[in-house]
Amino acid sequence: MAMHAQEWDHLQLWLGELDRQPKRGMRREQALDFPAAYRRVCHHLALARGRGYSHEVTERLQLLVQRGHRVLYRPPPPRWHRAASFLVADFPRLVRAQWRCMALAAALFYVPALLLLAWLQIHPELAHTLFSSARLAEFERMYDPANPHLGRSSGTNLQMFGFYVFNNVSIAFRTFASGLLFGVGAIYVLGANGILIGGVAGHLTAIGYGGPFWRFVVTHSAFELSALVIAGGAGLQLGLTLLAPGRRRRGPALVEAGWIGAKLALGAFAMLVVAACIEAYWSSQAALPDALRFGTAALAWLLVLGWLGFGGRAGQHGA
Amino acid sequence: MLDSVREIETPEGISLRLRAVGPLPRAQAWMIDTVIRLVLLMLGMAPLSLLGTGGRGVAMLLMFALLWAYWVICELWLDGQSLGKRALGLRVVNLDGTPVTWLPSVTRNLLRVVDALPGVYGVGLASTLVDPCARRLGDIVAGTMVVYAKELPIGHQVPAAPAQPLPVPLAPEEQAALVDFAERADRLTPQRQEELANLLEPLTGCRDTAAVRRLLGYANSLLGRP
Repeated sequence: MAMHAQEWDHLQLWLGELDRQPKRGMRREQALDFPAAYRRVCHHLALARGRGYSHEVTERLQLLVQRGHRVLYRPPPPRWHRAASFLVADFPRLVRAQWRCMALAAALFYVPALLLLAWLQIHPELAHTLFSSARLAEFERMYDPANPHLGRSSGTNLQMFGFYVFNNVSIAFRTFASGLLFGVGAIYVLGANGILIGGVAGHLTAIGYGGPFWRFVVTHSAFELSALVIAGGAGLQLGLTLLAPGRRRRGPALVEAGWIGAKLALGAFAMLVVAACIEAYWSSQAALPDALRFGTAALAWLLVLGWLGFGGRAGQHGA
Repeated sequence: MLDSVREIETPEGISLRLRAVGPLPRAQAWMIDTVIRLVLLMLGMAPLSLLGTGGRGVAMLLMFALLWAYWVICELWLDGQSLGKRALGLRVVNLDGTPVTWLPSVTRNLLRVVDALPGVYGVGLASTLVDPCARRLGDIVAGTMVVYAKELPIGHQVPAAPAQPLPVPLAPEEQAALVDFAERADRLTPQRQEELANLLEPLTGCRDTAAVRRLLGYANSLLGRP
């Protein structure tokens, strides 16, 4: 024991220094020797346990090993090119891998929206049972053809950008998380948003404000609605894994589904930030010529669908 | 061993002890975090309100960061500790005892929404009370748990007494039982202490108060005290 006490002291000192000044501690020569030293101490601890040495020795070694374990197995520093390759390739692959849930989420959102949009053209008075008259007045003010800014009644670009990020990303994150309640939360949020958006679109089109409304939403909806559907699909796959984990144990299956869902939610977050940029700085410009506006919108939809449908496919052969 | 301790075998073939944290210290840590976030929000709002309507947009971004990103940033930069957890000496770790990585951290903090659901953390409270590792739903799905950052050395609560060497060598479990008895002795009535100590008459060779004192002496010698 006396033979090794000095080595233990050295290691303890170095770990203490690492807690206070991580960078300086790592530059010391001792850092190179650390893995070997750690394994030696582990060996000593096993030996001390096996031979029934006193608590004093085993406890000291145990503490040393616990601290060493945290240093040896700490996570690697983040690599930023991974974030780029995630957005370009891994995220679309992940979305395609979960295509069943994504299709279900898209159906839950688009079917009520489109039905309501069509229904309101035939029975416009239904809008008054869906929304209170104060909210209808607010929608009408936002998309009044006489309004110099499209899609808002007041506020500057920057203010609306902050609002869109906060509001839309919070909704997307909640949609994903509430999927854990057996999928019910995600189904509810998707359906409710489908009804809301379909109702507004239908009402405004029916009263003749459709021009400003469709001009406003057509570009950024490519990112915004797809992100909402992806977040909802992520929540659905989490809830479905909880209900029917298949041929796996429920615990590990849930952990895996949770990680997939978190990745999808992060991708949806990136999409929503792009959507908020477009919505605040591009969609609201009333002066844009229609050809440019609808051309950009078509490009945006093609970009999103192409990215989600084909992103990362070539990499499968290359790697 | 107390049942809140989870033992984990490492690749080196030794076991680590993770002591799970119950709901009360975690609620306290959350309160501290909430106060810190509110103070940060107010400090940020004051200069931003001078900027007019554009400032309100930046304030929204700040609120977003404090609501969602605060936890993940803290946990990744401060080695699994948000500021409140650091104040109370708690730490988030992966289930295998390694420091928390970004994906589990993101997962557990996104699912905070579900744990917070009815009122203030109703689901989370129920989950921490039911789960043997006191994990909330977000922890279960993310594969993480909250542990005490500081290791309590075994036997630090054993009252000091003159050490007495053991008459016969004992197995490790028997030694641990002796130390555990000494640790909890002052939470038992004297009568119960004597009753338990009398069971070991073959070892100590005496009864009642003398036996208790002798057992405390053995425990002190096992802990390496003079």
